[in-house]
Amino acid sequence: MVSAGTRVLKQRYRLRRLLGRVISYLLVWLMAFFFLFPILWMIFTAFKPTTDVSRFPLQLLPHDVKMVEVEGQLYPLYVVREPGKPPRTMARIKVAQGQATFVDPANPADVLETRNRYGEPVLTVKFEWHNFVDAMYRGSRPGLHVNFWTYLKNSSVIAILAIIGTLVSSTPAAYGFSRIQWPGREKLFLVLLATMMLPFQVTMIPLYLFFTEFLHWGDSNLPIVVPTFFGSAFDIFLLRQFFRGIPEEMLDAARVDGASEFRIFYNIVLPLSKPVLATITIFTFLWAWNDFLGPLLYLNNPEHFTLALGLQDYQGQRNVAWNQLMAASVVFTLPIVILFFFAQRTFIEGIKLTGTKG
Amino acid sequence: MSTSVASKTRGSGRRGSSRRWAGSAYTRRNLLTGLLFISPWLVGFLLFTLYPMISSLYTSFTEYHIRAESDWVGLLNYRQMLADPRFWKALYNTTYMVVVAVPLTLLGSFLCAVLLNLKLRGQSVYRVIYFIPSIVPVVAGSILWVWIYNTNNGLLNTALGWFGIKGPSWLTDPAWAKPALILMGLWAMGTTIVIYLSGLQDVPVSLLEAAELDGASWLQRLWHVTIPMVSPITLFNLILGVIGMFQYFTQAFIFASAQSSTAVSGGRTLGAPLDSTLFYSVYLYHKAFINLKFGYASAMAWVLFIIILICTVLLLRFSERWTYYGEEG
Amino acid sequence: MSGKRLLSIGLMLALVLIVSACVAPAPAPAPAAPEAPAAPAAPETMRVWITWGDNPAQLQELFNRYGEANNVQIQVNAPVDDEKVIAALSGSNPPDILVLSGPDNVPAWVGEGLLTPLDDIIAANNIDVEDIYPAMLAQGRLHDTQWALPWGSDTYALYWNKDLFEEAGLDPEKPPQTLEELVEYADKLTKVEADGTITQIGFVPDFSWSHIEQYVPMFGGYWISEDGTKVQVDSQPVLDALLWEQQFYTKYGPEEVLRFVASTGDYASAEHGFMAGKVAMMVDGEWMVGPNFIGGLAPDLWYGVAPFPYPADHPERAHTNTVGGTVVVIPSGVANPEASGKLLAWMMSPEIVADEMVANFNLPSSRKAAEDPRFRENEMFAVFMDLAMDPNATSQVFTPASTEINDELALVEEQVLHAGADPAPLLKEAQAKLQPILDKALGK
Repeated sequence: MVSAGTRVLKQRYRLRRLLGRVISYLLVWLMAFFFLFPILWMIFTAFKPTTDVSRFPLQLLPHDVKMVEVEGQLYPLYVVREPGKPPRTMARIKVAQGQATFVDPANPADVLETRNRYGEPVLTVKFEWHNFVDAMYRGSRPGLHVNFWTYLKNSSVIAILAIIGTLVSSTPAAYGFSRIQWPGREKLFLVLLATMMLPFQVTMIPLYLFFTEFLHWGDSNLPIVVPTFFGSAFDIFLLRQFFRGIPEEMLDAARVDGASEFRIFYNIVLPLSKPVLATITIFTFLWAWNDFLGPLLYLNNPEHFTLALGLQDYQGQRNVAWNQLMAASVVFTLPIVILFFFAQRTFIEGIKLTGTKG
Repeated sequence: MSTSVASKTRGSGRRGSSRRWAGSAYTRRNLLTGLLFISPWLVGFLLFTLYPMISSLYTSFTEYHIRAESDWVGLLNYRQMLADPRFWKALYNTTYMVVVAVPLTLLGSFLCAVLLNLKLRGQSVYRVIYFIPSIVPVVAGSILWVWIYNTNNGLLNTALGWFGIKGPSWLTDPAWAKPALILMGLWAMGTTIVIYLSGLQDVPVSLLEAAELDGASWLQRLWHVTIPMVSPITLFNLILGVIGMFQYFTQAFIFASAQSSTAVSGGRTLGAPLDSTLFYSVYLYHKAFINLKFGYASAMAWVLFIIILICTVLLLRFSERWTYYGEEG
Repeated sequence: MSGKRLLSIGLMLALVLIVSACVAPAPAPAPAAPEAPAAPAAPETMRVWITWGDNPAQLQELFNRYGEANNVQIQVNAPVDDEKVIAALSGSNPPDILVLSGPDNVPAWVGEGLLTPLDDIIAANNIDVEDIYPAMLAQGRLHDTQWALPWGSDTYALYWNKDLFEEAGLDPEKPPQTLEELVEYADKLTKVEADGTITQIGFVPDFSWSHIEQYVPMFGGYWISEDGTKVQVDSQPVLDALLWEQQFYTKYGPEEVLRFVASTGDYASAEHGFMAGKVAMMVDGEWMVGPNFIGGLAPDLWYGVAPFPYPADHPERAHTNTVGGTVVVIPSGVANPEASGKLLAWMMSPEIVADEMVANFNLPSSRKAAEDPRFRENEMFAVFMDLAMDPNATSQVFTPASTEINDELALVEEQVLHAGADPAPLLKEAQAKLQPILDKALGK
């Protein structure tokens, strides 16, 4: 038999559980809102007509001034509020020197001449798809025929070369650090680990001078791409961790058969390492796509800009078209989001690998 | 897959087998092969790390001229740095970010991971939503947040207005510029959330159940079981966060260049407002590439390196007290 | 999902990106190939970089005229960021001509050997320096050598919004005459809500293009001695100017003013505070009248332009203004200095100066160009023309430490206006810091 006291306790327990669940859901939703809403805002802004971007007070959905036909021509519609008179909805057909001419669209003979400032535009929801086209073909520097396609192409070239460079250089290095026994290996590996702590500022200036003054590589993507062909400490570290997990017996068997280390590396180890190679491909792509300082330092002419630098360049100008800038940002972000949805697990596994293997 | 392969080899005495072959000819051949395999990195290390390090250390003792011989000035750059109020301002701002932003990010990520680890419906969707901002490119994200922070017409202040709160002037008020950057950083903390989430999933259920049987409340379990179990993750990400935050650059650069387009100032915006976003790397960049003081900038870089080294060593030293490595560690 | 599949998806995505980029109609050169060093013969392509450029298309068209006549292709890159300019100057592939917003950096760059001396080029191409206004010419002179030539010029005046004047009960056709009137009008033109929020403001001293530099001469001095050897940022005129500026902030609270200013739009947009009718008066340059700014962005705006007011007790200072602006330099590492020199000479010809400055609404730097009647067509632009010719027009002083001095002055101004700091000790501090820097830069 259950006493009344236990029942109350049980009820209280249930109530607390319920309350806990409600709070949990609220918190999860609140945070989801925090993470998601800025992205939605980016997308909404990308669709706003130019006149709507800085409208006050702010509206979520894109709006445009309503146009109305008066005697075969389109004019913007206004609410005219002259002091001491009832407001009227009229089309504005002319404005000069602070004076505007409004007419009643239903009765064009009804003309009102007054100060332009008394009129307030009438708005209607409008998604401006054309922003995306304008953003991609925007020619801020007409003489150079540079637009976002150029930036997209430059970013892609750098990303692909960086992926190739990282794969062909870091993989053998990681093999040399994990599956071949040689004196001094561990000490050198410690050096490699230590370089990961080195702030980029320490090497930035000599490298800049080396690439631009000595090698004359200024204003090209070589200073960004070429170093990727010389191994990345982080990727070598990741690959080494993976290679160490491959059973020695498999390699020894091949060695007994007289296979060279390169054959073992190429024919046995690499085929086993596809997951980690995929991780490195994705992360190198992310790095190259995101990199800002490298392009900022080395790329001078807009025809060489990457998307990251091109966007910043656009934003730093004195007349920022925020709708187009947001449209360009959406295009900039989209490849990564697509990649993420295709390779969600590789992403997550890669992050776990990089974030937990101290 | 990787873990199953790894577990097979654990403790099978690899060292012994290689020692069996130990012979000088073999060792030499192995050394050559090994060096050959690591040669891409080795060349890269000498060319792109070691040489620039030595070079920048040397440059830090000179007054550098691009088109002429540089003058050896001894410690002058370092002395000027100590006397430069903007250097101290930059160091302060950066330290502020390290001390405030890094722990906040860890705390925020941990709490979000805890939320995502609860048994709620639709968690897989929420996990994606929490993660997505972190893959938005930093430049695009920063531009987006400049837009969100817009004072009267921005999303944030409009939203605050609905609750009757008069939002601050995020980008032009020196007191709010750094919090604005921090909030933006929290938005993009998805990767750390993922790391914590995987850590939470690795916490043995048996431990939590045992604690529950002992009458520990949810909070007590969180405090006494979960947090110690993920402490290695916390340490690792704390160190990475500190190293990264000392080099904070791109976001601040974008925020500053956003202001050059506004009407307030004729392009004189570095560190604006009132040097409140003048971070170490930004000032260093300015000294090097705007003022052409490569010697001074190199000296700044080395001071930064030493600061980072000291911080890392201190963190590792003091972490022993609060980091739990299980039986294996 | 297997690693192989992931890898192939990743590569495919990359491939799609490349293909989509290549299909795009942009005829851009492959970035992987750095430009080969140009042969000493006339280069087929010349690059002109301009650090301003509110209408790049117009600039490109102008330079196309030279390109067509001389069988070269000229690429105009505008606007270019300062850091890009320095990277290009110090790098191996500088632009053939560099047009700067002002000569501030020229002395420092001369010191680093980044610029080509122009004297031989001027002689070889018969550039008529007599035609250039001497004060402007002098700005590009250092150590008895010409390093930069002026290309157009700027000055500043007061813009006022007639609609807002009328609304506030002021005569829309009468701008303030004295500094005291300006303060009085500004207060009448400012609207503050009960909670302190500003919805419209009369005057913000550091709004738009206006800064301490434009005010100090009106208070009877300058922050560098005329010979460019003495820093005098702690002199009375600088202090007076700062105190005068500060009152506009203290009256409504710096926080509120800043919040208000931050809510106004970009400089070259219709949301710009003055163009949007939120700021009633501002100090800005002559280009504001033109099609790249108010003329094109807010053609409906009802406004006027007048000389900046003078202190009531110093009527003799009326029309005081500082003239200075764009200069052209040739980087020291250009592929073909002769070709650059020829292009420079073309740019300096009075017809080109006139055409460019008329199109872009800038003041002419050439006497012959100034006679062009088109400069008088717009009555508001004519106000600037008259100001520049006024006996009270002065020119800026430049030193090898100009960047540092201006940075420091800007910082003091920011602290005084935005943080309510006391200007006197800050100026003392700045003086103590700057004089040694200038001495060192001058090689003392």
